Amino acid sequence: MKKALEITLGIVTSVGGFVDAGSFATSLQAGARHGFRLMWAVGLGTLCVIFLTEMSGRLALMSKHPVRELIHKRFGLRYSAALLLGCLILDQLVLASEIGGVAMAAQLVTGVAFRWWALPAALAVWALLWFLTFGVMEKAISIAGLVTLAFVVAAFRAHAAPPSGGLLPAWPEGQSARYGFLAVSIIGATIMPSMLFFYSSGAIEEQWDRGYLWVNRAVAALGMAFGAGIALAIMAASAAILMPKGIRVESYAEASRMLEGSFGGWGLPLFAASLGVASFGAAVEVSLSGAYEIAQTAGWNWGKEKKARDASRFTLSYTAMLALGAVPIALGVDPLKLTVFTMAIACLILPFLTFPFLALMNDRTVLRDQVNSRWANYAVAGIVGLTFLLAIVAIPLQILGGS
Amino acid sequence: MDLIREVLDNQLVDRNQQRLGKIDSIVAEFRPGRPPLLKYIETGWAAKGTRIHRRLGEWMRRRGSRPYRIDWTAIRDVGVDVEVALEAKETPLLRTENRLRRVLTRIPGS
Repeated sequence: MKKALEITLGIVTSVGGFVDAGSFATSLQAGARHGFRLMWAVGLGTLCVIFLTEMSGRLALMSKHPVRELIHKRFGLRYSAALLLGCLILDQLVLASEIGGVAMAAQLVTGVAFRWWALPAALAVWALLWFLTFGVMEKAISIAGLVTLAFVVAAFRAHAAPPSGGLLPAWPEGQSARYGFLAVSIIGATIMPSMLFFYSSGAIEEQWDRGYLWVNRAVAALGMAFGAGIALAIMAASAAILMPKGIRVESYAEASRMLEGSFGGWGLPLFAASLGVASFGAAVEVSLSGAYEIAQTAGWNWGKEKKARDASRFTLSYTAMLALGAVPIALGVDPLKLTVFTMAIACLILPFLTFPFLALMNDRTVLRDQVNSRWANYAVAGIVGLTFLLAIVAIPLQILGGS
Repeated sequence: MDLIREVLDNQLVDRNQQRLGKIDSIVAEFRPGRPPLLKYIETGWAAKGTRIHRRLGEWMRRRGSRPYRIDWTAIRDVGVDVEVALEAKETPLLRTENRLRRVLTRIPGS
């Protein structure tokens, strides 16, 4: 019974972890610009993230050590330090994007410019981390994250359905670089490296053992699939509501009234609440993940279950990350553009984390009888490799302004 | 024992399982005609710096940073963590952690 409850909570948690400013921004733009023709990217990313999440939980509960510590030990300080640097730069960009999402939501409701909300948003995230334990914090955010189900309702009410053949990838004439870039961003938003570190550290914090193998499997598969369902609903609603009006979603404000057809006067507050809560939850996860990464690489005390003062360098790490993350938004960097760009960059870092991770997942000295199946290896390596190749073509083209 | 695989870069813990840092280097004495003698394990930023790049290590040493050495004979257990027969408070390894802890204790809710 306790485990069934954990699965339910885990699924809800995954929704909180899955739907963030990244999936909001990319799904809104994808739906508005390409209809249903980028849904394959969500599907591909979700398949990969289900495998990766399950693996990181399995690795943690079998070895009793989080992914970061095992990568450091197996691949040595040099590789570990370089990977840490890359992941931390990405985490900072993602954190800035999430703080931007919260700030934008506050602007939509109050009319006060988003840059003024950057510091209060970062402070609110910090306060939550400071005062609440891991379990309480995770569950509170996740339950609040269910507000994003408003997009599922909106997609149904708008009778969003793909035309015949409308789900197939199609590289639009004259826009193939933008289409490819958005595909990369969607996959990047789906497979965030920080999620692996967060999930495996969480499994240790919650003291999962071998008896949790099937709980881990259920949470990873159902939770991520449920989260992907919401991302698809945002894309479908955007395709059905914004595309016919020619709205391309250059800013969050352009999309902010899309729920009014379903919810009337509640449309705008619901849109803002969905964006704000999802981004807030992700900001909590990313800042914690960054602190886990630093502390586990340096060998410091870590853990959200500990009192803040009992893991003081860990506490300082997430505090510093939040302070830094607020800076770009306070300086007025556009949250939506930053988010879409950051999610694409994530795909460039993924192989450097995923391939060492897969090597660990096939090591019988760590996982004993629970090493990866061959198909799981092929699926993850294939998707990450393909996305990396797409990213090294699409990102320079997008930066150079190609089409 | 495979030193690189089983000891280097492992988590270092004291006899109370308190985390002290990582094992960043191993010091051995090379003796002509005899097997090398393991002397110390080292931890700290200076040891990390030297491993990342020799010049970074030299620069850190010039600024007064030194690795903390623990006698090889103090090692009690080698697993994923390496336990040494020391107490954290006997070493300077948690000085920063403890200083920061005193600051954080003043903030309500810590």
